[in-house]
Amino acid sequence: MTGLSKFPRLAAAWLLLIGSSAMAQDMPLTQVLLPGEGWQLVGSGYKFTEGPAVDAKGNVFFTDIPNDRIHRVDATTGKVTVFAEKTARTNGLMFGRDGLLYGCRNGDKQVVAYAPDGSHTVIASDISCNDLVVGSDLRLFVTDPGGGKVWTIDAKRKKRVVAEGIGPNGVILWPGEGTLVVTERNDAHLWTYRVEPDGSLSHRERYYLPLRLLPGRDRPGSDGMTVDTNGRLYVTTSAGVQMFDPTGRMGGVIAKPHRGSLANVAFGGPKRNLMYVTAGDRVYRRKTRVQGAVHFLKPAVPRR
Amino acid sequence: MITRITLLTLLLTIAAPALSQDNYKHGPDSMVQEGVPQGTVTQHKWTSKTVFPGTVRDYWIYVPKQYDGKAPAAVMVFQDGGSYVNTKRSFRVPTVFDNLIHRGEMPVTIGIFLNPGSIPPSKPGARARRNRSFEYDTLSGQYARFLLEEILPEVGKRYKLTDNPAHRAICGISSGGICAWTVAWEHPDQFSKVLSHVGSFTNIRGGHVYPALIRKTEPKPIRVFLQEGSNDLDNLHGSWPLSNRQMAAALKFSKYDYKFVMGTGGHNGRHGGAIMPESLKWLWRGWNGKTSDSPKKK
Repeated sequence: MTGLSKFPRLAAAWLLLIGSSAMAQDMPLTQVLLPGEGWQLVGSGYKFTEGPAVDAKGNVFFTDIPNDRIHRVDATTGKVTVFAEKTARTNGLMFGRDGLLYGCRNGDKQVVAYAPDGSHTVIASDISCNDLVVGSDLRLFVTDPGGGKVWTIDAKRKKRVVAEGIGPNGVILWPGEGTLVVTERNDAHLWTYRVEPDGSLSHRERYYLPLRLLPGRDRPGSDGMTVDTNGRLYVTTSAGVQMFDPTGRMGGVIAKPHRGSLANVAFGGPKRNLMYVTAGDRVYRRKTRVQGAVHFLKPAVPRR
Repeated sequence: MITRITLLTLLLTIAAPALSQDNYKHGPDSMVQEGVPQGTVTQHKWTSKTVFPGTVRDYWIYVPKQYDGKAPAAVMVFQDGGSYVNTKRSFRVPTVFDNLIHRGEMPVTIGIFLNPGSIPPSKPGARARRNRSFEYDTLSGQYARFLLEEILPEVGKRYKLTDNPAHRAICGISSGGICAWTVAWEHPDQFSKVLSHVGSFTNIRGGHVYPALIRKTEPKPIRVFLQEGSNDLDNLHGSWPLSNRQMAAALKFSKYDYKFVMGTGGHNGRHGGAIMPESLKWLWRGWNGKTSDSPKKK
C-alpha cells in the first residue's frame, strides 16, 4: 500500500493529540482506482440498464428495463447471456443469502425472488418499487420513489412503511447492516438511518453531504449505491460515481464512462474488485483496488 | 507483544521528523501555580433529542473557583472537549483558565468541553455512525442550534450563564476549528469570539468557501484567533496552511478583529497548546471594559 509511509505519521500525531475522538483516515480516490485501469465496455445495445447485482461466485446480473430482460455477466469469461425474460420492468436487484435474486418487478407492482432457472416467486404485492437491499436475515428495504416511501419486508414477507416524506431512489446497507442509506432526489445529500432490530428506521440524518452538483443544477441525480469492505460508499450521479468515506466525507468523483446516464453501481468478479456501472444503453466495468461488501456471506439463518 | 512494540517503534520513528518541527514548550500559565485557586471539572453524558437525534457523547464542565452563582458567568465551548480539558496534554485549558481568571485576564468563565457525538448501532457487530465530521465540517447552523437549544440550556440548569455574545467564546482544533468559526458565522448574535487551532478551512464538506464568503459579506462582529502550522496537512481536502492564509487574508480585507499565528508545526495541538494562554488573553482582552472590547473600527 503506497499510503503506508504517510498514514502512520498522521496516525501518530493524532494518537498523541486526540485519542478517543480520532479523526477518520483520509480516503482519496488513489486508494480505489488503479493507474491505467479505465472503464471497459461489458455490453451495449440495451435500452436502459439498471440493478447490477453480484452473486457468491462474482457473476453480475443486470436488468434492461424497457426490454424486460435480466442479463448475466459470467464472472470468469465476462460473456453476457440472458438470464430471464418478460421480467415486467424489473428494476433494482440484489442477491440474498438464500441464493435467490430479489428484484423490484415494478410492472407488476411486486417484489419478487428469481430462482437460478429464471422463474420467480412473489415476495410482496401492491408495492411500487424501484430499488432494494437484502440484509443477511433476508429482511428487505425497498424504495418507492413515487410514494416518497421506504418499505421493509421481513423474512415472513410482511411489508410495512418505515420512512416517508422523502425523495428516495437508491438504497443500501452499510457493512455490518447497522445503518441504512437512502438517496434523496431533491437535494445534494443522502439520508442515513439507524436500523432497529424490528426493521424500523430511526435517527435520520443528512449524513452524506454535500454531493457534487453539475454546474447550473440543484439536484445531483443520485441513483444506485454500493459499499466496499472498508465502509466506503459509492453513489451514481450526473457528475459521476461519487465516493464517500465512512464518516460521510466525499473522497472523490469517478468519471462517467460516457456522456449518457449513469444509474447504478456494484462490485463483481471472483474477487469483487470490478466496479460495474449500468450506464444507459450500456454496461461498463473497471478494475479497482477495493472489494465490494455483500450481506449474503454470513452464516445462514433459514427463512421461515 | 513484540508486534505492538514494533508498531510503536515504527510509529515513533516515522513520526519523529514531523514532531521535531513541533518543539513547542508550555509556559508557566499552562502549569499549576501555587496560590492560584483551582476550578472543578465534572464529567457528564448527553444524548441529543432533537438537533443530532440519537447521538451520545461525553462532555465536561469546568467551573472556576471564583464562580459564586450570583452573576452570570462567561462561557467558552470546546469541540473535541476531551482533549482540551486534559491538563496533562497540549491544551490544559482548566489550568490556563485558573491562572488567567485569577489575574483578571479573562472573565469568570465556565468551560464546556464537548466530544463529538456518535450513534451506537442497535445490533451487535454493526458499526457506530461517527458524527464528528457531520457535526463539525458541515456549513450550517445545526451545530450552533445544538449548543443553543440543547447544551447551554442543560448546563444553564446548574450554573448561571451569560447570554451576552461578547462573553461567549468557542474553540476547536482541525474540524473543530472550522466548527467554531461556523457557529459564530451563523450566530454572531450569540457567539462573538473564536479560537481555531489548525482549523480545517478546506473542502471536507465545502468549508473552503469561507474566505470568499467573508470578502463578499457585510462584516460580522466576530473576533477570531487563527493558529496554523507550515507543516500542516496537504491532502484530498486541501492545503491547511494555504487555506488558513486565505482565511487570514479575507479577515484582513474585511477588517475583522483577527489575529493569525503561523508556526512550523503539523496537524496537532502542540503549537496551539503552547500559546494557549497568550491566545486566550488576546481573545478576551478588554473583557472588563478597561480596553476596547469591540471589533476595530477603521
